[in-house]
Amino acid sequence: MHSAVALTPRVADIPAIQEPLLNVSDLSLRRGKAVVLDGVSLALRPGETLGLIGESGAGKSTLALALIGLLRAPEVQLDGSMRFRDTELTQLREADYRRLRGNKIGLIFQDATAALNPCFTVGAQIAEPLKRHLRLSRWARRERAAELMHSVGIPEPRMRLDAYPHELSGGMQQRVMIAVALACNPELLLADEPTSALDVTIQAQIMELILDRVRALNSSAIFVLHDLALGAQVCDRIAVMYAGQIVEEGPSEHVLAAPLHPYTQGLKSCVVELGSRRLVPIPGQIPPLNAMPGGCRFAPRCPKAKTICSEQRPQAETRDGRQVACWFID
Amino acid sequence: MFQAASAKLAQTLLVLLFVSAASFAFLKLAPGDPVSIMLGSDYSKSSYDQLTHALGLDQPVVFQYGNWLADFVRGNWGTSYITSQDIFELAVLQALPVTLTLAALSLLIALVIGIPTGVLAALYRNSWADVLATTLAIGGNAFPSFYLGILLIWLFGVDLGWFPVLGFVAPWEDFWQGLWHLTLPAFTLGAWYIGLIARITRSSLLEVMGQPYILAAKARGEPAWRVVWVHGMRNVLMPLVTVIGLQLGGMLRGAVMTEVVFALPGLGMMVTTAVLNREYIVVQAGIMITGLLFVAVNLAVDQTYQFLDPRLRRR
Amino acid sequence: MTEALNVTALTRESQWRRRLLQPMLRQRSAMVGLAIIAIYIFAAVFAPWLATHDPTAQDLMASLQGPSAAHWLGTDSYGQDLYSRLLYGAQLALIIGFASVALGLAVGVAIGLAAGLMGGRTEWVLMRIVDGLLAFPELILAMAFMAVLGLGTENVVYALALSFVGPFARMTRGDVLQVKSQPYIEAARMMGVPTAAIIWRHVLPNVVSPILVQAGMRISIAILLESGLSFLGIGVVPPTPDWGLMIAEGRGFITMAPWISGVPGVALAILLVALNLLGDGLRDAFDPTTQKDA
Repeated sequence: MHSAVALTPRVADIPAIQEPLLNVSDLSLRRGKAVVLDGVSLALRPGETLGLIGESGAGKSTLALALIGLLRAPEVQLDGSMRFRDTELTQLREADYRRLRGNKIGLIFQDATAALNPCFTVGAQIAEPLKRHLRLSRWARRERAAELMHSVGIPEPRMRLDAYPHELSGGMQQRVMIAVALACNPELLLADEPTSALDVTIQAQIMELILDRVRALNSSAIFVLHDLALGAQVCDRIAVMYAGQIVEEGPSEHVLAAPLHPYTQGLKSCVVELGSRRLVPIPGQIPPLNAMPGGCRFAPRCPKAKTICSEQRPQAETRDGRQVACWFID
Repeated sequence: MFQAASAKLAQTLLVLLFVSAASFAFLKLAPGDPVSIMLGSDYSKSSYDQLTHALGLDQPVVFQYGNWLADFVRGNWGTSYITSQDIFELAVLQALPVTLTLAALSLLIALVIGIPTGVLAALYRNSWADVLATTLAIGGNAFPSFYLGILLIWLFGVDLGWFPVLGFVAPWEDFWQGLWHLTLPAFTLGAWYIGLIARITRSSLLEVMGQPYILAAKARGEPAWRVVWVHGMRNVLMPLVTVIGLQLGGMLRGAVMTEVVFALPGLGMMVTTAVLNREYIVVQAGIMITGLLFVAVNLAVDQTYQFLDPRLRRR
Repeated sequence: MTEALNVTALTRESQWRRRLLQPMLRQRSAMVGLAIIAIYIFAAVFAPWLATHDPTAQDLMASLQGPSAAHWLGTDSYGQDLYSRLLYGAQLALIIGFASVALGLAVGVAIGLAAGLMGGRTEWVLMRIVDGLLAFPELILAMAFMAVLGLGTENVVYALALSFVGPFARMTRGDVLQVKSQPYIEAARMMGVPTAAIIWRHVLPNVVSPILVQAGMRISIAILLESGLSFLGIGVVPPTPDWGLMIAEGRGFITMAPWISGVPGVALAILLVALNLLGDGLRDAFDPTTQKDA
């Protein structure tokens, strides 16, 4: 499946010093009393791809929705900062945020079948951001939509413009979703588990297609994934999330080769490797939001936990070019 | 496509046949002997037999039905004993347009008030709009339309004098006068539908707004009003049309009452008067028309589904 | 064998109680509806003791009076006491409502069971008759039957019952067909359980709750139709104390004596609201897929 396709990281292509495109620092998100995201910090340079890895419930999708401004006050309470170029997203007025969504920031949903409106043709849905943000004429929208469909590998795009979502296969629907997200050449693409609702046989194709388009447009991308190995293959850098916090963040191959945080180590040992007998699942599960432990949130499940872990929260430290939040980095 | 359409057509024809058979059966069940009614009190045996033969009433019932159906299809519906008016003209050309106008106007009022109320109730749950929608849904659905009509006449017709109390002016003859005369009746009949429409809009929209494609529309930068009224409401139309179609019986029930309360010369008035006068052929004409109307609306609703939901379309 | 069957019947009954009764008790609006209906039933049952006057006694000297100590809710144009007529009207409305639904249910369920269980030509003929009935709105059907049967209280019951046969028959048949295809029916048949026993023990308990829910919701329609027919003058005949008749009578005096139509009108509206609340509660309790806020 994933590993069958060669997907080379591109760390080398990126200039070492560059203004970040996106800079999230100490972002917290509260829904009522529950702290869903807790002190999240990450930076993304132009053209860089980042994998957000974690179990379901870690807050990855929440972070993606917060970034595109679909989770905002008054629904939730946001603290900290999200800078996108020179714009502070947390302070942005809704009308201005709307001009970013689908334009500068694109979002690919997990399940295209559910995320495409069954009552509108795919052409109309691709054309929507073109009308909204680029103010293209009706004719130009149709042309551009067909081009976009062609670019995401939909055969005979002109005939399919007037097709309804249910007339396309799951893979084709996800390609349409990608075309919608990329319609306005976004600077930042968020992809929320873009292949997990698809057949195994086409997952790799779709992943490669997204990467290919992202590279072609020189966009940055954040992939929300639950598979550490896939993330390391696809992305330049990896951020591992646990219970609303980023526990380890760094270049993909380093994180995968030598994970520092016990949770990342656990995730890695979950990955079945050919010829290897190691398959040690992490015991337990993410604690419920209303019963988060006071210190390190991973402490109750951590094989290395000591007293301090459940008392004080570890701060992120820089080690070997990556950030790790753990009291006992060996 | 063709097969499905022809199956539908065959089914509809079958139902139409039942409707006509039921209407015919009604005439046969009606008390009184039509021959003796037509001959009056004093007649001879031979004249009785003669008329029976002339009317074809000595033939087997199946033949009588055939004759009746042939006459019906040709618009040869007979003459009223009382007003000596042609019944086809009375029912189809005079009464039916009145009822249809009343029903259409009521539905329009109900949609114009019901949909926004339902949308507001869904968007702002537990707000005044929500309370209003729930109250309208429960109250409007249960409140007897004939008493509501009387109250409206009392308040707006007599007390405030804003609207005429009785009578009908055809909007196709004098549009504004007609509309003015139909306002109170249309509100009376529409009140019943407002709550229903508000309630269905509310619950359907609540469900639709939780769908991922709504979030996806927002993620494309669609403004809030378009997300609700285009992406959301487009998906609410289907359950809305279903309910409107299903409740046609209630609509006709209310129309009969409303017509009588406001003295509108529609189908309901016609049938009521005919029942009181024991004019069975007029009653039968009313039954037949409402039956046909029922079938036609059900067919129309069925066709609308394909138009509203692309997933039901056959290519 | 009998033991085993009894056990299943018992669990089914307790299931019925858990699935239908308990969720309903939790619904406040349904309970409010039930309380109001209980008051109406009380008034109807004890009308002879609660009434202050003979509901049909005319006193032309006391006509068109407003509420007073002698006539608590006033009098109509014949000087009949509205309070007493209201009570007896409740009696009439509830009796006609329940009786017509019960009759329509009995006939409809019988037809539906026959059609669903026998199949073949019997089913075809029965269901075509039902189709014929269902092709018309209830009120038109009831009006047609009234035209054939003639006016009067009893005939109102028959006319309404006949107009309810169609929906009950179709529903029962659908339920029976569904139940019939269940494996346990097949199993019972193979074990040699007689058909009548299968119907009684397995089919009926499964179709009973949806039909009861339907019946509950029909009662409010029946009462609305009954008062409507009487209002039109083709239902119950005067001087019977009937709300529809009272509203029709008060219509002419709406400016002079609004209470004549107001007393029965408001009473009817409240009863119908209460019945609808209870009906909605029954439906929600029965069908967990209906959203609570729907």
